[in-house]
Amino acid sequence: MLTRRTFVQTVGTGVAAYIGSRGRENSLWAALEPALGAVAPGMICLSSNENPLGPGTTVLNGIKAAFGPNGARPGRYDGTSRPLIEAIAKRQGVKPENIVLGCGSTQILRSCTHLFTAPDKALVGTIPTYEECTDYAKLMGHPVRPVALDADLKIDLGKLGAAAKGAGLVFYCNPNNPTATYVGAKATRQFLATLAKESPDTYVLVDEAYFDYVTDPDHDTHIPIAVENPHVIVARTFSKAYGMAGLRMGYAVGHPETIKKMAEWDAGSGTSSLNVLAMHAGLAAIEQDASFITAERARNKEVRDFTMKWFADRGMKPTDSQANFMFVNIGRPAKAFREACRAKGVLVARDFPPFEQTHCRISYGTMDEMKKAVAVFGDVLAKKATAA
Amino acid sequence: MPVSRRGFLRLAGPANPLSGAFLSARGLEAEFAEAQAQARPPRPALPPGVDEIRISSNENPLGPGKAALDAILGKFPEAGRYPFNSTPADADLAAAIAARFKVKTENIVLGAGSQEILKSAMRAWVSPTRAFVTALPTFENCTAYAKRYKLPLTEIKVDAAMRLDVGPMIAAATGSPAAGLVFFNNPNNPTATVHGAKTVTDMVERIRKASPDTVILIDEAYHDYVTDPSYESAVPLALSTPNVLVARTFSKAYGMAGMRIGYAIGMAATMKQLAALKMPYNISVFGVAAALAALGDDGHIAEERTRNTAVRAFTVKALQEMGAKPADSQGNFLFVDIGRPAKDFRDECAKSGVMVGRDFPPFEKSHCRISIGTMDEMTRAVEVFRAALKTPVTTSGEKGGR
Repeated sequence: MLTRRTFVQTVGTGVAAYIGSRGRENSLWAALEPALGAVAPGMICLSSNENPLGPGTTVLNGIKAAFGPNGARPGRYDGTSRPLIEAIAKRQGVKPENIVLGCGSTQILRSCTHLFTAPDKALVGTIPTYEECTDYAKLMGHPVRPVALDADLKIDLGKLGAAAKGAGLVFYCNPNNPTATYVGAKATRQFLATLAKESPDTYVLVDEAYFDYVTDPDHDTHIPIAVENPHVIVARTFSKAYGMAGLRMGYAVGHPETIKKMAEWDAGSGTSSLNVLAMHAGLAAIEQDASFITAERARNKEVRDFTMKWFADRGMKPTDSQANFMFVNIGRPAKAFREACRAKGVLVARDFPPFEQTHCRISYGTMDEMKKAVAVFGDVLAKKATAA
Repeated sequence: MPVSRRGFLRLAGPANPLSGAFLSARGLEAEFAEAQAQARPPRPALPPGVDEIRISSNENPLGPGKAALDAILGKFPEAGRYPFNSTPADADLAAAIAARFKVKTENIVLGAGSQEILKSAMRAWVSPTRAFVTALPTFENCTAYAKRYKLPLTEIKVDAAMRLDVGPMIAAATGSPAAGLVFFNNPNNPTATVHGAKTVTDMVERIRKASPDTVILIDEAYHDYVTDPSYESAVPLALSTPNVLVARTFSKAYGMAGMRIGYAIGMAATMKQLAALKMPYNISVFGVAAALAALGDDGHIAEERTRNTAVRAFTVKALQEMGAKPADSQGNFLFVDIGRPAKDFRDECAKSGVMVGRDFPPFEKSHCRISIGTMDEMTRAVEVFRAALKTPVTTSGEKGGR
């Protein structure tokens, strides 16, 4: 019988193989420790675009190393943040001065909004998109120019470009959360080049949070543009494919001048909000074999294809999902669907206006979780939709 | 939880009495060291056989307690979850802190270290037309922010006893134009001195009478180390007075500087302005769990205070015997008149592996800040101090050594 004690001993002696398969769905763990899981035990959490498997053994061992001799006196940030910055720079083929770390990419999004919008310099973002920049601009009283998506719920580059002229900052979330759609690399490069000519003072924050999940063949990072152009910043996070949402670690890649401003926004270094476990975890994550991400992308794709087909077979059209979640027209208010699913043990995402009367965002769990989840969706959707 | 502190450390790696120290290493200090680290080459290695004693950053040398360490281990299965989805969730931490002070969660704002609280306060209440009033020397986080963004700043030098000079601070806060924010670090880092409850209450009253819109931030990072009986926390004052807030941290006595957890407490209307600026999900699932466990482990804080008090008394006495003059210390560090530039002393001590605090202008030519390590560390450190203080005083702390 596996007990909590033996679990901990296993971690301690370094034979941590089975924790690599852990994650929120880990029934083994849940059985041991029913109180664990915020998400009440047995609930399937498809509401937050997390990696359902967590960060994997390598990263957990990296955190563990922080407690021991390998992380000798590791409380010194100069022993942890610098190697992480260097490792990211190496992995991305840039220099350390092109990188600033953040307390999740949230901090990156905030610092850009704070620095590059103003009462006379608007934030431009699609509706809907990830709300952090919009919310923060509004909080500061800076104008926000919302731009509608196209009919496929993709970024409408024509409309976005028009709205961007003279703006302070464009938030370019690609793949876009919550709609899961992706604008190909070629079109994005063209957009950035055109904007640089037509509105050279406008910054663009390209949020590549879901980069690792994209399967579209026209896929590439915009980091090479960011390191050359001080007005383009790329945000990345360890919260998605790397499975480290609980650690709070993200980063930005950009031109050294821009990165310096962002680092200073965090009063000096850009690292003082960063916890030391996240730095150890981030280092282990970025240095692990690239097959971790390849395998996670393949796993997600299989679950995505299964879930997309389930909805399509029933006449409900999801958008072209290029992430670890889908945005699907369920023909009824998200709220009613969400509450009915919750009652049956499945958590799906919040409302995303202006689509809250028709669409729901559903994150992909494990295949096992999704098989259970679609059964719940089937039950819930079989009932006639009621008005909101 | 079945894992003892000793057992934890053993599990975590081969015997290493300092294994837990990494969690404690750094508090509000981090960003300055980090800023330096970004620009400077790695520190040269010490001679073989010499272990470094890091008494430069006001850390708890023992790190977090057993309960917190156990809680961190227990969170491995939830590393992939956002802090609002984990058990406990970040909201549970805010609720536990609120319960401790018998207030509501609307009275609490969590920060990624108290540094986030301080930064948010600057953003909320200081502007080109609303000045920032602080002490000199004091914790520089807010001062650095004001300088970087060219915000109006008044720094009031501490008094002859190295205490915050309350009268001039009140005058600056209530002058024309009135201050947007006053930063009152009690005990004050780096001078380690404290003001009693009556002084703080009177100051708040006088500022509020003349300038009710001025916000007063009382940073009690070192609260748990104070032994002066005249001191009381300003938390009750903050909870009953508009525009007054207290910042607290898990980075000092709780030994969790590496985890980045702090909070602000005050009236709901004050907290609302701060909460608006809080970064979402700013504390990791590990930090949430560790802080909650630590809150339930009061014995650990009492032990830490006792330990620090004893080592502090030992160190003060040893320094006084050498002719050095520490200011009255109510923290886990000393501000000592060593009669020579801090840099010379620091460089000399570093040769023996003893790392003491950075320069604190305007006292960098005469004073050094020394954090309180363990009794073993300080026993060794005072011998290094003794040797360093015997070397002749150079004139200006010119270059030489690191």
